[in-house]
Amino acid sequence: MRTWRNTQRLWFYRALTLLATALIVHLLAVWATPRLIMNRLMTGPAAQDMAMLNRAAFPPAVDASSRRVVMPSPDLLYSVCVFDGSAGPVRVRANPGLPSYWSIALYAANSDNFFVLNDRQAGATPVDLWLVSEGPNPRDPAVPPGARVVVSPSAQGFLLMRVLTADYEAEKAVVEPARRTLQCNPGGA
Amino acid sequence: MASHTPASGRFKRIGFAALLYLAAVALGLGSAWWVLRKASWSGTVVKVGPWTGSTLAGSTDADLYTRARVALEGLLALGRDETMYYVARQDDAGQPLRSACSYRVEGLPPAARWWSITAYADDLFLFDARNRQYSLNGSTARLDARGQFALVTGPQAVEGTHWLPTPGQRGLVLTLRLYNPAPELQAAPARLQAPTIQAIGACP
Repeated sequence: MRTWRNTQRLWFYRALTLLATALIVHLLAVWATPRLIMNRLMTGPAAQDMAMLNRAAFPPAVDASSRRVVMPSPDLLYSVCVFDGSAGPVRVRANPGLPSYWSIALYAANSDNFFVLNDRQAGATPVDLWLVSEGPNPRDPAVPPGARVVVSPSAQGFLLMRVLTADYEAEKAVVEPARRTLQCNPGGA
Repeated sequence: MASHTPASGRFKRIGFAALLYLAAVALGLGSAWWVLRKASWSGTVVKVGPWTGSTLAGSTDADLYTRARVALEGLLALGRDETMYYVARQDDAGQPLRSACSYRVEGLPPAARWWSITAYADDLFLFDARNRQYSLNGSTARLDARGQFALVTGPQAVEGTHWLPTPGQRGLVLTLRLYNPAPELQAAPARLQAPTIQAIGACP
């Protein structure tokens, strides 16, 4: 009887170990999924080809060959930048000057969209943002007084500027220069 | 005849433990994959006709699972105060959308500053459309006398209707994007007057 109880107890603990480990692995996998996808987006081969670390890059207009990010919108022209605020603030500037929709969205390393500014919110004022990461960073140079500061929940993240273009070929001469007004540089530069 | 030495017993235990942990890892990864890819969702998902939308896509309030699922199926989504997304994988009759079939999508322009409907293959990338027509949007849509837009997806064009080619034999996914949606729609995403999706003719 005692032997049977020990065996029973052994299998109980084995099943418990299996379930606890499976639960931990499950949660870790779900937690890591957006972070791994973002990491690949920010540091993968395509990102390196475009040299977009603290620098604006301008991918070609969306078509069937656009396969970096799922569900690319063919009605939008994108400008991108991987920001890294670990060595100091990153300054983001843009002045698309378009009457149609555009926006600048910032994404944390876990894929959360923590900030967005669109054409209506910006009004006629050129965009000038100082992007700093959460927490004290003694190496930060002083952000100019009065500057618009955006705090990123992660040191690294992704900037995506969307410029609406209902007909790219017809609007190319206007929307291309507009999206290329995006600048994304270390604040001290 | 093999005898049970302490060493062989130890190897057996180590082997069993390794097997146990491997099974646990497989179970954990498999269940994560199933939940993110296969499970039907409720709670943060609204369903309007054949369209479904997430109320937390892109939001910093997104839970662990919503964030992971959005990363897989709609990375870099905006929050719903900026953009709302509705996705359809079925037609009005509840049949899975297929690229080899033809569908008519029509409805009233949604209450938003700008909108678009885009056809994606089941890998969530654009079809290789020779005419480079991937979407219908608020600027290109022509409205009929009832104020409705219409588009057709499928392998063949339909005279007089905006055509989004969907070559090949695979699943079809339609995405409706609303930029700067009306506040009442942001507050109640289920109030969308959803475009209808109806199959045209027999499907090969």
